[in-house]
Amino acid sequence: MTNAAYRRSQLESLVEAQGGCRASPPLLLSADPYFDLAGEEFGRRLLLTTDVTGAEYCLRPDFTLPIVADYIANGTGEPAAFSYLGPIFRQRDTGPAEFDQAGIELLAQPDGDIALDQVLTFARAALSIYGITPQVTLGGVGLFEALLAQADMPEPWRPRIRHRFGHTEAMDRLLARLEQAPDLPRSEQPDRDELIEDITARMVSAGLSLSDGRTPDEIADRFLEQQALDAAHVPAATLRLLREFLAIKGGALSALRQVEALAEKHRLFLGPPMKAIRRHLDGLGEARVTFDASFSPRLDYYTGIVFEMRGQGGTVLASGGQYDRLLERLGAKAPIAASGCALWVDRLEAEWPK
Amino acid sequence: MTAITLAVPSKGRLEELTRDWFAHRGLTITRPGGARSYLGAIEGLPDVTVRFFPASEIARELIRGNIDLGVTGRDLIHETSEAGPGSVEFVRNLDFGHADVVIAVPEAWIDVTHMHDLADVASDFRSRHGRWLRIATKYITITRQHFAKAGIAEYRIVESLGATEAAPASGVADIVVDITSTGSTLAANGLRVLEDGVMLRSEANLIVSRTADWTPERRQTLDALMTQLGD
Repeated sequence: MTNAAYRRSQLESLVEAQGGCRASPPLLLSADPYFDLAGEEFGRRLLLTTDVTGAEYCLRPDFTLPIVADYIANGTGEPAAFSYLGPIFRQRDTGPAEFDQAGIELLAQPDGDIALDQVLTFARAALSIYGITPQVTLGGVGLFEALLAQADMPEPWRPRIRHRFGHTEAMDRLLARLEQAPDLPRSEQPDRDELIEDITARMVSAGLSLSDGRTPDEIADRFLEQQALDAAHVPAATLRLLREFLAIKGGALSALRQVEALAEKHRLFLGPPMKAIRRHLDGLGEARVTFDASFSPRLDYYTGIVFEMRGQGGTVLASGGQYDRLLERLGAKAPIAASGCALWVDRLEAEWPK
Repeated sequence: MTAITLAVPSKGRLEELTRDWFAHRGLTITRPGGARSYLGAIEGLPDVTVRFFPASEIARELIRGNIDLGVTGRDLIHETSEAGPGSVEFVRNLDFGHADVVIAVPEAWIDVTHMHDLADVASDFRSRHGRWLRIATKYITITRQHFAKAGIAEYRIVESLGATEAAPASGVADIVVDITSTGSTLAANGLRVLEDGVMLRSEANLIVSRTADWTPERRQTLDALMTQLGD
């Protein structure tokens, strides 16, 4: 038997065999947590509906959030593994808004590297059911964060640069702005108290609350910081380092050698994140693996290593990685190790028998 | 079948200016039943049926291909659907109804002058205030597209169907995306447009639907109309 139903049942068995709990969250979920976690950018993909009170609901757009939220609500701490296979709903440019997704979530596992190994193995096994040897792209969120922490620059620039990681155009605009920063003589900073007084007067006259949103202190401090930043340049050498690093992309082994050469040249210590990437590289076997230093999902809860697996046509068939900051963002008291991936089942089925 | 449908805004200044524009080019749009009638014609062009619609419905129906050509604002085409601009062709800029869709922040935000400042403020807004930066607007699609391009994801839209400029003072939102022709309403409400805060320059346009069923005969009727309108 090599028909579609057989492959589907093999995928079912693979999902069942993940040694965890098979999760099936409700189809109708409160929309607010999705907007809260992922913002409007993801919100535009939701299929929304409203109840009689006006509360907004969405058709389940992914499994990760309800699984993780449920895990937190039941008390965190114990390692847990969840797997899923079922329909999700998203607005798409092409194709129906309902399609199947499968995946696993490994939470609070004692060893994050072993957990990621299991995630990668699961994704590879699922793809091989469909006869696919994927093109794998690895990204190093942890690697970039380590590099950024050590690069020579004024402190306030670090979060600004980190925030743009994963959005190539926004990063390019920021770096271009920093490269062109004119060498202005440092003007005298206005007095903070006078600034606050001035901002307060403006807010009061416009009828703005002084406590509900941005406060006069916050605006004054950022104004002063901004002025200080205009004077505090990121050294040209650091900007070149960032540009060179972010441009590294290619066959994993040679790309990683380039990272190492760059690290050596700039005396950066990138040992642990590099070791982690190499370790997973070994586990990926015969798949063609690309390392892309600028690759990251645009959500700031990703950490460590992230990956995508693509098929013949270049469509993404599986994506995932480590997201140790996700549980905290959803209300957990401390960071909790998390990794997982999602498979686009309709795309997998479309790949066969290419 | 050779008949095509031209949709004209059904009331107010926009209707008047549209009819003037056609009249100036020798085409008289008639509305036999007066303001309560939604059907009209162009004198001497029996193959063109005129329908009077609200401007936002004209945008929607052009995108869906239910009407063949019509006059409405560029902003409404962009707002109605992400696929809007691709589904129509802007054939004539009518040179009225000028207005910009802009991003405006409280004038007191002296540290925010450009989009990149807004990106900084948005990125740590949640950790400071326990909620996302809120943007009041009726231009949801345009705002989402523009902010995605600017790399800003950390915000929530509060839909506002009127008096958007009052949203910051009433505490409903922190900043606004609104349409303005002079900026004076925004300024009167203590709001300032960012220096790179113009998201879309809009004006009234004569727009042809790409999704309508363009048989050669109907295409011919359209070409004849366009010839009359001159270049």
